[in-house]
Amino acid sequence: MATGSKGLDFLRDRRHEPVTLALLTLLAIVMTLAVTGLSRIYHGQQEALAVRWSARGVEDLKQQRFGAAVGEFRAALRYARDNDSYQLNLAEALLGERKTDEAYAYLINLWDREPENGLVTLELARIAASRGQTTRALRFYHNAIYAIWPGNQEEETRKSRLELIDYLLGIGAKAQAQAELIALEANLPEESPLQAHLGGLFLKAGDNEHALAAFRLALREDRHDAVALAGAGTAAFEQGRYLAAERYLKEAVAAAPDDVDSAARLATTETVLGLDPFRPQISAATRDRMTVKAFSAAGDRIRTCPALSGQPPHGRPDLVQQWNNLKPRVTEYGLRRNPDLVNSAMQLTFNIEQQTSGWCGAVTEADNALLLIAKLHEEH
Amino acid sequence: MTAGTLPIWARLTPVSLLRSIFREDRFFLILSVFIGIFSGLAVVCFRFSIEWCRIYLLGSGVSLSPMRLLLAPTLAGLVIAVLAIHVFPEARGSGVNQTKAALYIFNGYIPFKTAVGKFILSALAIGSGYSLGPEDPSLQIGACLASAIGRRLRLSRERMRLIAPVGAAAGLAAAFNAPISAVLFVIEEVIGRWTAGILGSVVLSAVSSVVVMRWFLGSESLFRIPVVEMRRPSELIAYSILGLVGGLASVAFSMGVGVLRPRFRQMAPWTQYFQPAVAGLLIGCIAALGAPQVMGAGYEFMDQAMHGQFTWQFLAILALFKIVATLLSFVSGTPGGMFAPTLFIGAMLGASVGGAEHALLPHMSGSPGTYALVGMGVLFAGFLRAPMTSVFMVLEVSGNYSIILPVIVANTLAYVISRTLQPTAIFDTLTRQDGLELPSMEELREENILHVEDAMRPPKGPLLEGSDPVEKAARLIAQGPHGILLVRVEPAGWYSLTREAIEALTAEGKGAEPLESALTDEPIPPLYPDQPLDMVLRYVDRWPLVPVVHRANQMKLVGVLTAREVLARYRNFGEE
Repeated sequence: MATGSKGLDFLRDRRHEPVTLALLTLLAIVMTLAVTGLSRIYHGQQEALAVRWSARGVEDLKQQRFGAAVGEFRAALRYARDNDSYQLNLAEALLGERKTDEAYAYLINLWDREPENGLVTLELARIAASRGQTTRALRFYHNAIYAIWPGNQEEETRKSRLELIDYLLGIGAKAQAQAELIALEANLPEESPLQAHLGGLFLKAGDNEHALAAFRLALREDRHDAVALAGAGTAAFEQGRYLAAERYLKEAVAAAPDDVDSAARLATTETVLGLDPFRPQISAATRDRMTVKAFSAAGDRIRTCPALSGQPPHGRPDLVQQWNNLKPRVTEYGLRRNPDLVNSAMQLTFNIEQQTSGWCGAVTEADNALLLIAKLHEEH
Repeated sequence: MTAGTLPIWARLTPVSLLRSIFREDRFFLILSVFIGIFSGLAVVCFRFSIEWCRIYLLGSGVSLSPMRLLLAPTLAGLVIAVLAIHVFPEARGSGVNQTKAALYIFNGYIPFKTAVGKFILSALAIGSGYSLGPEDPSLQIGACLASAIGRRLRLSRERMRLIAPVGAAAGLAAAFNAPISAVLFVIEEVIGRWTAGILGSVVLSAVSSVVVMRWFLGSESLFRIPVVEMRRPSELIAYSILGLVGGLASVAFSMGVGVLRPRFRQMAPWTQYFQPAVAGLLIGCIAALGAPQVMGAGYEFMDQAMHGQFTWQFLAILALFKIVATLLSFVSGTPGGMFAPTLFIGAMLGASVGGAEHALLPHMSGSPGTYALVGMGVLFAGFLRAPMTSVFMVLEVSGNYSIILPVIVANTLAYVISRTLQPTAIFDTLTRQDGLELPSMEELREENILHVEDAMRPPKGPLLEGSDPVEKAARLIAQGPHGILLVRVEPAGWYSLTREAIEALTAEGKGAEPLESALTDEPIPPLYPDQPLDMVLRYVDRWPLVPVVHRANQMKLVGVLTAREVLARYRNFGEE
């Protein structure tokens, strides 16, 4: 005891303060080394637990067991709080669980830290889109397009833009969608499925010209691509290029006999081609025959339309009277003698079809074709 | 070049250099750094221990089995009770008051065993899910280590008294990763006054402990801080509502502790063995019923609340359950701190109020993260009653100055409400329940002190100038009842003349001489009306009549004082 006290008195003596501090330094070093050892054990364990829980979470996420994945990623984050990958996975699991608000909170934090992260930005865009926040969704989609992506940057950028286009088409923003499609077209490889998909999107955006060009590119690589053939046929049909449409649609139906839409569109195309007397490169006899046929179809339309029975209301032209007046002269013989009558007969036919389309209910294939011909010639 | 012309540094010998370094005050500063390092290391180990206890007792996942939720705290409670009763009886409580007691009662002495007990029992309690935090125990562990070092080095009694707060600041700073808040808290709640002598040591120890802690655990704060901002001044109304709710919650929490703790302690002694276990079982039940977030310190859930990951209704439930769980944990005598639960309740309450306000008044309220952060400060101000620390803590933790207005508004409101409804601060309540009479820091802060102006009276008697002859003074003394006269001598100052002095001058034949040449004493040092009345005590012993002068013109007399008047004022103080 006395020795110990003497030792302590030694420390108390101010002359020995340097020694005291040296001893304290030594002690601090020893303790630091000891804590460093403990720290390694601690951090190693934390890391192992994080990896273990994350691996389980990834597996559950793959199996779409979102509830379990949420718990596992939460546990992983407990041991590696700032791991962005775990946070992103947790957000995805939460989205799977339809816990959008919570997922959004994680994603927005990730985005704060890494605004250039494509995955995060795209998820935020999806959430904004699902919430109907159009401006925000568009901002995030655009950010995603120009973000940094792991792996194939070009492909991910393309996918993001395609998703944006789908979103724009979904909300009816066709002009914006068309602008994005043109930007996409410039960077798209000439692979058949991609070009066919692009053509389909152009079709949805109402840009038939670009659609046809895209389908043609697709067909350059694979002439028998049924989707591209059907798309090209539709695009040509929508542009009023019925001869081209007939060609593509015939091939489409031949390539995919189950394609009911193409078959129906082909039937309409063939009817149009059979009723249009203004088609170039047809003989005068054919033209007259088509005129008679079209005029006759308009007469059928009048007869089957209940709204046209009796006197027409004030201000409405008496189409029945006009048709009856012209009928005796619209024959193949009459038209041959007076070729100018073709225009009058077809004008009345178009009038009848256009006006009756609003009053007289369902149209026949011929009526439909005559409406398309009327539209085509009005445009030209 | 001679020795005299050499620069100072060149004249220093190794011995004089060492002497210069190891002056006592400097040695204490260096010692503070070591205290910080040792406290930091201890707190790092404490954090490891809590985490290991949690992993091995509750499991490493977040979805805990109900059986574990019930059994872990219950069984841990039994062990804690036995150890706290038989081995570490000093380890109970939060640790703040024990450190204060060391400062004010035990001359800085805290047994080292207390640190060991605090370390083991708190780690076990927090790790097994008791709703307690590691900050107050860290504070006490730091104080214990500092006290042990001080004893080993046989420091003077004065230094020993100061060393416990130095260690306390180091422990708290490392636990909270916030050195400024730790220093402020120790100054505000433990020491109670700002003195230059202690401030340097406290700051050094806090900074060095935080450096050590960050070395091992990283510099990230306890929770990720969201983007916090105040967009419109109208949001202050919403924050005021938070202050109001927080103030009321603080009062409820504080009253709960104040009422339940003595009742638990008055129960039969054998129940002390089971109180922590029963509390643990009830906390386990709360967790098993769907609120496991209330277990432990809960920093990760504060983080989630700040990032809007709970609905405002669930946040309100969590705040309520956390109050219950913390009350159970604390009043059952389980060792652990109140800081983390207070912050948890504040964060949940803040985010809840923010969420509700956002649903009702979307244009008047900010993000839930900001509310959670402000809510922490609100509870800190309302429950722990450390208003300055509460403001700086939020600023330090968030690193964002832009929320200072909401923080000040909400914290002040909560503090005022708490102060009004619960006059005694929680630490003072706990101290008194423990049978100690420590100075109340809150009362000290708000203590009225007497000033010179409170005791002085207007100068009514005759006033002499330095140019007046001694005869005039003798005449005035002879005519009136005045035993003492004041003499103004420009520019020297003020003098007082007693009857005896005047009579002596007259007897010496100096009656015709001006007073300024006859006076041989030093002038009376100037005394101003705003100075503490204590100052006068240094004067009245030497000068029976003390002049009080104007600060802008020291030749202008604003009042006079005598010893009798000073004592009378002290006698009446507190009676009016």
